[in-house]
Amino acid sequence: MVFSSLTFLYLFLPLSLLFHYSTKNDLFRNIFLTIFSLVFYAWAEPMWIFLMVFTALFDYSTGLYIEKKRGTPWAKVGLIASIVVNIGLLVAYKYGGFIYDNLNYWFPLPFDRPQNSLPVGISFYTFMVISYVVDIYRGEIKAQRNPLNFLMFISLFQHLVAGPIVRYSQISEQVEKRSIDWSRLSDGVTRFCVGLFKKVAIANVAGVLVDKYLDTQLYALSSYEGWFGIVMFSIQLYFDFSGYSDMAIGLAKLFGFDFHENFKHPYAAISVGDFYRRWHISLGRFFRDYVYIPLGGNRKYQDRNILIVWFLTGFWHGANWNFALWGTYFGVLMVLEKHLKFILDKTPRFLKHGYTLVLIVFSRAIFYFVDFNQLSYFVGNLFYSKHAVNPGFLSDITTHVFWFILVIVLCIPWDEIYAQDHPFRNRIAMRYAYVRPVANAFLLVISTMLLVNATFNPFLYTRF
Amino acid sequence: MAKKINVFLFFIVVLGFPMAYFVMPKADKSNSEKRKLATFPSFNSEAYLAGTWTKQVDEYIDDHFPFRTNFISSTDYFHAAKGFQLKHSERVVVLPKKQPKLQVESGDSTKNQMAFLDEFEEKYAGSMLIIDGCVYPMGGGSPAMSKYFAEMVNEYARTFNGVRVFSAVAPLSSAFIPVEKYAHYNSQNKRTLLAIKNNLKDGAIFCDVFGELNEHSNTKLYFGTDHHWKPLGAYYGYVAFCKAAGLEAVPLDKMNKKVKYNFLGTMYQHTQDPTVRAHPDTMEYWVPKVQTEAVKFGPYNTDKPSKTKVFYESSSGGNTYSTFLGGDEPLIRIQTGIKNGKKAVVIKNSMGNAFAVYLVNHYQEIWVVDLRYSKQNLTKIIKENNINDIVFAVGMYAAMSKGTIGMMRRLTTQSGIYVPPTNPEVQEPNVESTPHVDSTDME
Repeated sequence: MVFSSLTFLYLFLPLSLLFHYSTKNDLFRNIFLTIFSLVFYAWAEPMWIFLMVFTALFDYSTGLYIEKKRGTPWAKVGLIASIVVNIGLLVAYKYGGFIYDNLNYWFPLPFDRPQNSLPVGISFYTFMVISYVVDIYRGEIKAQRNPLNFLMFISLFQHLVAGPIVRYSQISEQVEKRSIDWSRLSDGVTRFCVGLFKKVAIANVAGVLVDKYLDTQLYALSSYEGWFGIVMFSIQLYFDFSGYSDMAIGLAKLFGFDFHENFKHPYAAISVGDFYRRWHISLGRFFRDYVYIPLGGNRKYQDRNILIVWFLTGFWHGANWNFALWGTYFGVLMVLEKHLKFILDKTPRFLKHGYTLVLIVFSRAIFYFVDFNQLSYFVGNLFYSKHAVNPGFLSDITTHVFWFILVIVLCIPWDEIYAQDHPFRNRIAMRYAYVRPVANAFLLVISTMLLVNATFNPFLYTRF
Repeated sequence: MAKKINVFLFFIVVLGFPMAYFVMPKADKSNSEKRKLATFPSFNSEAYLAGTWTKQVDEYIDDHFPFRTNFISSTDYFHAAKGFQLKHSERVVVLPKKQPKLQVESGDSTKNQMAFLDEFEEKYAGSMLIIDGCVYPMGGGSPAMSKYFAEMVNEYARTFNGVRVFSAVAPLSSAFIPVEKYAHYNSQNKRTLLAIKNNLKDGAIFCDVFGELNEHSNTKLYFGTDHHWKPLGAYYGYVAFCKAAGLEAVPLDKMNKKVKYNFLGTMYQHTQDPTVRAHPDTMEYWVPKVQTEAVKFGPYNTDKPSKTKVFYESSSGGNTYSTFLGGDEPLIRIQTGIKNGKKAVVIKNSMGNAFAVYLVNHYQEIWVVDLRYSKQNLTKIIKENNINDIVFAVGMYAAMSKGTIGMMRRLTTQSGIYVPPTNPEVQEPNVESTPHVDSTDME
């Protein structure tokens, strides 16, 4: 099930809220939430639910074991066993076909290619359980005693299929007991409505143009249209994933959880490094804490560490070489930025912003095209194309011009410009306090209207 | 207080629509989309584990959402608000590839499955050009593909010795885009259709439909919101046929002229473009002054005919084109007051509906065979009824697709039961009801 579906919005969500708030007993609330989360997961993938439940129960047990054996070599054995099993499952189910293809290319294999589909959310919940057992091993958190609570933590429908990668330490208290207050509920409503609108009215609209320019008309594109296509894909990717994250954070608040932010206006970044401190923050922090720092961080072999982390980050996104190339591209850029810091420090802010945007938008091409022939053809066309502009290009721009303005407005980091206690922000919040409920309801109804007339539109990041 | 209002308003919306579902009347079909709405699936574990049951529930909720029709029509305002349209601007929309609905209505299963075999369907999932609210496919067929169609027509000519076989293929509307820079589509259509002529042999006769239409290209021959030709375009197709068949075409002013307004057809349904919506078609059509009686048959046999009509005056809105023959039926027999003993078979897709109605001026009996839906053995129909002429009246895409060419070829060999319908027990249908038109049927 996806958040941006009528089934979720008007069947699943009201029912889950009604059940959750029908009792004040935390145990019953957790039981209801777990059942609803499993139904949510099984809606699209009934079979893969067993893998997810196995992972949860396995790491619940491993966590207890590591905690019990802390200070002995057996704790490390437990940790390694957990990581091997979790990464093993991830590799088998996500990368099995990819590994087969590459091995089979050089050494024909005597068995058939694995045909399984990607278990939804496996990339996300695998990292969640790894962070859980590592944090226990490090003594940073206590293991969860109640298997139901742990299963609920892993399977929470708010984050299950596409993150954010929630650390147990962030919500350990809320897993046990959640206080409900109007402020959190209201914030949740706002985040959810804004996220839904971002997905349905921005990402899906951009998606139509992406399909047109990067798919249907790929082999007849002028350079202008090529750039237009990847700018649209950049918009689609950001609003799709940040919209999803907003909805996840908002839904979490509706049920009494506080997830950390996953995006902070990434297109306002002034360097590539800055961009990835603003984009998919929970993934970046996972790699920082569980790969980069253990490798030595910035204390030794920093360049190597950066390249390894970004190669892995690329591969995390998908079982294809283009994702590895995409990750390596950013790894190299990060290393270059580190060594050229003395130049960047003297560069005017608008130039830094411009160079970052160009590099980010260009990277979307590597991200989009899993076929290297298409990628090389497209990149070549970006700089020189023998094709004239197709009919309708000008019309696509004029018929979206107000929408482009809205996109730009939504990319501007208003909450950084007007920080928490800025007088202007306070004044607006006071004066327009009663506008927000109406605006949220309006966004919800507009989004519903667009969903009624839409085909199935899954979130892009659920495929990772 | 504002926070509480925020939460309450949200709950009112997310609970309000489900409650509205229970109190509002339920529809089982959508007239504007020309399709039946999904029914709630019965649960079975096999379907659930395969993931199809949940998809069907999603479809049911999508199809029966409260105020669905109002929401769909309001979407235009959102799309219009995204920007502005330049005057005389050209726009290209890409139609997504169609995905067959999981739920197949038992009565229409044959139609759906057959329609999906049509490569034309896939080709329509491509770029459409919109100019001043009129939609045109981008292309003009392929001369290389024409020979396969011509070979199939030649086979008919060889098989049915003594029967005249005509090829009357209609060009695409792209042939008549009123913008100079798209003139190459005109010549591409011409080359494609001439290639049919050049490959016809064994006595098969070519009707120069393109030439006749091209002579009148200063008038609007195709709908802007629908992929069919207008009755006037079909009339010039009929004139081309008459010239090839040695008949004298009945002038338009010798028939009864009628008009229908506000037609938003398939091209609008598929593009949902606000500028197309703002330019609904007006359909002028001409009813021959000939007495007719028509019966239609199911796809597999001819023993249970039911009454039908050559013109359905009640068809309107999105179904306006179903005025002709009531839309696509597998097999129709029309008997006329022209007692000249001449009989014709028209092998057609929906493009041929508007064409076939003019033939009542010249034949005593006309069998209209839908190449996709009829499962009856056409050889028996032709031989047992002493058919004089066979006319292939199809749109160009049907002639460009090996799938549809194969269907036309199979008509002569497939094993449907033919029973001479001399004294049928006629079942009277409710003729005022809106005839069903399959939404997947694009030609």
